[in-house]
Amino acid sequence: MIEVRDLLKVFDTRGHVVRAVDNVTTRVDKGEVVVVLGPSGSGKSTFLRCLNGLEDFDQGHVAIDGLPLDDPKTDINAYRREVGMVFQHFNLFPHMTVLENLCLAQKVVRKRGKAEREAKARALLEKVGIAEKANEYPSRLSGGQQQRVAIARALAMGPKVMLFDEPTSALDPEMVGEVLDVMKTLAQEGMTMVCVTHEMGFAREVADRVLFFDHGKLLEDSPPQQFFAAPRDPRAQAFLRQVL
Amino acid sequence: MIKHKKAQWPWHALTALVLVGLALSLYLATSMISYEWRWNRVPQYFAYQAEEAQRASGNGTVQDIVRQGETARVTLRDEDGAEQVLEVAQDSLQFSRGDDFAEGDVIGVTRHWAAGPLAWGLWTTLWLSVVSGAFGLLIGLFAGLCRLSNNPTVRDLSTVYVELVRGTPLLVQIFIFYFFIGTVLNLSREFAGVAALALFTGAYVAEIVRAGVQSIAKGQNEAARSLGLNAGQSMRHVILPQAFKRVLPPLAGQFISLVKDTSLVSVIAITELTKSGREAITTSFSTFEIWFCVAGLYLLINLPLSHFASRLERRLAQSD
Repeated sequence: MIEVRDLLKVFDTRGHVVRAVDNVTTRVDKGEVVVVLGPSGSGKSTFLRCLNGLEDFDQGHVAIDGLPLDDPKTDINAYRREVGMVFQHFNLFPHMTVLENLCLAQKVVRKRGKAEREAKARALLEKVGIAEKANEYPSRLSGGQQQRVAIARALAMGPKVMLFDEPTSALDPEMVGEVLDVMKTLAQEGMTMVCVTHEMGFAREVADRVLFFDHGKLLEDSPPQQFFAAPRDPRAQAFLRQVL
Repeated sequence: MIKHKKAQWPWHALTALVLVGLALSLYLATSMISYEWRWNRVPQYFAYQAEEAQRASGNGTVQDIVRQGETARVTLRDEDGAEQVLEVAQDSLQFSRGDDFAEGDVIGVTRHWAAGPLAWGLWTTLWLSVVSGAFGLLIGLFAGLCRLSNNPTVRDLSTVYVELVRGTPLLVQIFIFYFFIGTVLNLSREFAGVAALALFTGAYVAEIVRAGVQSIAKGQNEAARSLGLNAGQSMRHVILPQAFKRVLPPLAGQFISLVKDTSLVSVIAITELTKSGREAITTSFSTFEIWFCVAGLYLLINLPLSHFASRLERRLAQSD
């Protein structure tokens, strides 16, 4: 489903060169849930943002469902329709109600009729458990509710892949659970997911594979049981000692 | 510290007192120079009874006069036997029944209300403001977005435009438009005036738009783009509506400024409010009254404008 080959992303700020993503090669199969772990500044978010073109990369090949991102002929907007993204800070559109947030892209990009897009939006809000908030503005919602709306908004486009960029890092601790529950449901339904997160419990329970990044390098790629029980890379071992 | 609830009305009363004091001192100051206020001369500059003379079309005698209230119906018969019927105001009737008249004689006048110079000036100022404001907004929106473009030429050109316009006085721009561009392209004075005002406003609106768009968090555009919206759609549906909300106060200020700046086009002989005021003074000699009236008329446009802006601001704030 997702194919990444020799991905290289270099940040060059006034001569200070950082290889944020350093020759990463991996693939994610259809229905697979991949959790990306690593210390902050390890390039995992940059890696994720390269997957849907929010960050342009210097070299390498990225393709989702056979559509190559590095090919200049690829329509980036058509590509992004198939890739849902959930951000750390939700990024809901504050001037629109929850329902309008879910309907905007359906209307503008997918050209769906009013009845169709609203039915889809309400069904998704039902699914993430906040159907009663459809006509509220985002500012009236708690962080957990906002993030669930953001997930529903991405799902409304019917993406083939969902990317999560630290979806619970900006939440109060008691709201993390409700968001993770939605993500678990999605995983069980067979959605292909790549999640950058610090939730070790989620990684252990839901992930099919764990990717460990440090200094832009993909250091370990293994199933969660193996990763948490016996990490091979010394930096992964040090990281796990810190967080567990 | 505990918050104490204090009564506000004594302070409002003090405000009123200060204002009354100011007005009183103004009155005293004018009485010291023994200025004679003649407010009764002012209304005729807003609306007056225009008189139109009704003339006989041939030589003959007045056949009949029928008086109906204010008007009189005069029937004239000329030498060839042709009849002419005129309706004139009764008190302006110059002839009686049986009188002879010659061709071109004024039989009487008809009266009707007509707008005076101040009313026409107000109207001219209004349409100048609305037209140049609308064009200024369009130009400003376009130039502001150009300043944010990735294309260096587009960006540079819009920067040159903004800097040129902001760096020169509006009065000079109006002269250039009328005397240089207007002569070369054979523009009417109204066109030159509106163009100068619109371009001037556009430059400031461009900066307001640019600042507004840049103040919207980057995540908003990223979220929109990640949903598959292209750059234009993201700008149209996500960024600009939020930016508009933020720039409404400076935008309203810019339009209020524009209404006042229209007074400058009087220098190219467009008879807007200020110029009509000057003309009214030349016939009435009521300098103080007319200028106070002119100031009041500008306020009459601008106060509702700022009221409308703050209401719009409150309406847009409902999503906060």
